[in-house]
Amino acid sequence: MIRLRSFAPRVAFTIAVVVLVCSILGAGWGWFRAQAALRQQLDLVLAAEGEGLLRDYEAYGLRGLSEAAEVHTRRRGPLLVLVQTPDGRPIAGRLPGAPRVLRGYATLRESGDAPPLRALGAILPGGVNLVLATDLSSVDRAAYALAWTPPVAAGLAALVALGLGFILGHGLERRLAGISDAARAVMGGDLTRRLPESGRGDEFDRLAITINAMLARIETLVAEVRQVTDDVAHDLRSPLSHLRQRLEAALARAREPEADAAVLEAALEELDGILATFAALLRIARTEAGAGREGFAPLDLSSLVAAVIEAYAPAAEEAGRRIEPELAPGLQVTGSAPLLRQALANLLDNALVHGAGTIRVALRPGAELEVSDAGQGIPPEEREKALRRFYRLDRSRGTPGTGLGLSLVSAVARMHGGRLTLGEAPGGGLSVRLRLPQGGTGKF
Amino acid sequence: MRVLLIEDDPATADYLAKGLGEEGHVVDLARNGKDGLFLALNESFDVIVTDRMLPGPDGLTILRAIRASGIATPVLVLTALGEVDRKVEGLEAGADDYLAKPFAFAELRARIRALARRPAAQAEQHALVVGDLRMDLLRRVVARGGRAVELLPTEFRLLEYMMRHPGEVLTRTMLLEKVWDFSFDPTTNVVDVHVSRLRRKLEAGGEPPMIRTVRGAGYVLAAPEPARTEA
Repeated sequence: MIRLRSFAPRVAFTIAVVVLVCSILGAGWGWFRAQAALRQQLDLVLAAEGEGLLRDYEAYGLRGLSEAAEVHTRRRGPLLVLVQTPDGRPIAGRLPGAPRVLRGYATLRESGDAPPLRALGAILPGGVNLVLATDLSSVDRAAYALAWTPPVAAGLAALVALGLGFILGHGLERRLAGISDAARAVMGGDLTRRLPESGRGDEFDRLAITINAMLARIETLVAEVRQVTDDVAHDLRSPLSHLRQRLEAALARAREPEADAAVLEAALEELDGILATFAALLRIARTEAGAGREGFAPLDLSSLVAAVIEAYAPAAEEAGRRIEPELAPGLQVTGSAPLLRQALANLLDNALVHGAGTIRVALRPGAELEVSDAGQGIPPEEREKALRRFYRLDRSRGTPGTGLGLSLVSAVARMHGGRLTLGEAPGGGLSVRLRLPQGGTGKF
Repeated sequence: MRVLLIEDDPATADYLAKGLGEEGHVVDLARNGKDGLFLALNESFDVIVTDRMLPGPDGLTILRAIRASGIATPVLVLTALGEVDRKVEGLEAGADDYLAKPFAFAELRARIRALARRPAAQAEQHALVVGDLRMDLLRRVVARGGRAVELLPTEFRLLEYMMRHPGEVLTRTMLLEKVWDFSFDPTTNVVDVHVSRLRRKLEAGGEPPMIRTVRGAGYVLAAPEPARTEA
């Protein structure tokens, strides 16, 4: 059975039908035109023959004409000649179905099985009626043949197209079935499944490659979400169970207003820490989703960096450290001032808490911000992981912080179309580079 | 003071209304945007506190509506956790302050006080005076008694903000926002270090302290009270 639900056969079928209908209409018109042209040609032939007979008549009189008519009749040739008196009595020749007198052109349609005739009649000087006629059916046959050749060719072509359509459709269906199988597998939860690629590099392959890239990205994102969920559950469980134990122990004890107040205060502090972690997580999530990008505005990065350094300088001094800025002036970027401020603040917090020695902050043209210190740095194999949420180096477990600082900086960098990389400072400490795209530099 | 509180979450609304009532404020509570908008337009308040997300017209819609009808009452917008990046939107709609949930009640209390005491139409001031402390805003110099106090630009901004709100508790978060434009809480004790430096400079001539630390809340700048030793 013809499966018209498939695309290619349906197209082929439609084309075939349209081609056939058009060729039938074309054939009708062609037949009509060809017949008219051929009949006109026939009329000219009849006129020319008539001229010839007229010359015979002028030269040899009625006898010569009658003889010529008899010759044609005997020949049963294409031309029939009839000579008759003005009142319709035949003198010579034969023309079945001729009217009594004919002047001018006429089509004679005989009864019976004889073919139709085209005739030309004239009254010659002396009152003789000369009628010439020839078989019209041959002309009609020619017209018919002429008109029908192209449609028949077209019909054949349509049949071939139909066949090709079915073959193509079958191939198409097979490839689509592969894609649809893969999509169903992905829907079913197998995020590692990819669409088949034939390797021919055609449109289907290009589509499959794009969709496969998308699937890979989705797989990564889902894995990240899973990881984050695990991390959140894990990292919030310990402070929460801590809090619970503390409250439980306090409740079991006898009521003492002062001791109770101390416990409640400590509990509040711990809760604030947990809430701060949540706030940081949400901020990272919103930043990664690009929320707030509509608030991007051109800003002077140099003065923003200088202001944050100014805020931190006294705290660094109190801790016996120093912040040494080296800022290219007037550097313009387009971005979110609050988030960039927080990113730099996080880097300075990190350098103060986990690093050591002088903190160098360099801002170079091309919008590259580097914060480095002279501490122990992060071993190369841990640098990638350090950007993950909640990741903390073993040695920094006892220090304050949520393990979310660098994740936020990294999210801010990506939101601005930039990159965050961790490296080693000349003295062996950590060097953090935040590269922002230079697009929009002073051009707004 | 008369405070309009527009908040749809029953627990939060009751807690805040009770807390503000205990502070001595008269609280009108609207539990949805429609009632809130009606009250804001038809009654007169010293401060309006509205949640950003509300059933009916939301906080920003109410804010725009009351500003459009020429009401200049200070408005504090409460927002959900982690939405600080939308602060600009709120400020553009006419909010005077912005506070992310969850917050310490002391934070809200301090901010409401700061908003209520804000002079409505501030005449251009050339000098701020608190006790024997005088700040010349044009020449950007500060003197305590007759003694000139040398300040760094940040310290000057910090002191200016504190002198504009004498006797009020200013929380660390408020100072971070108003003086440093930080919409986050850094691990480093940026505020404390600056305040203690400022305090040292103000008392360098052996004068009595002016900046008092309020435990669990923030700082207060006030003229020293000679009669008492303990504030």
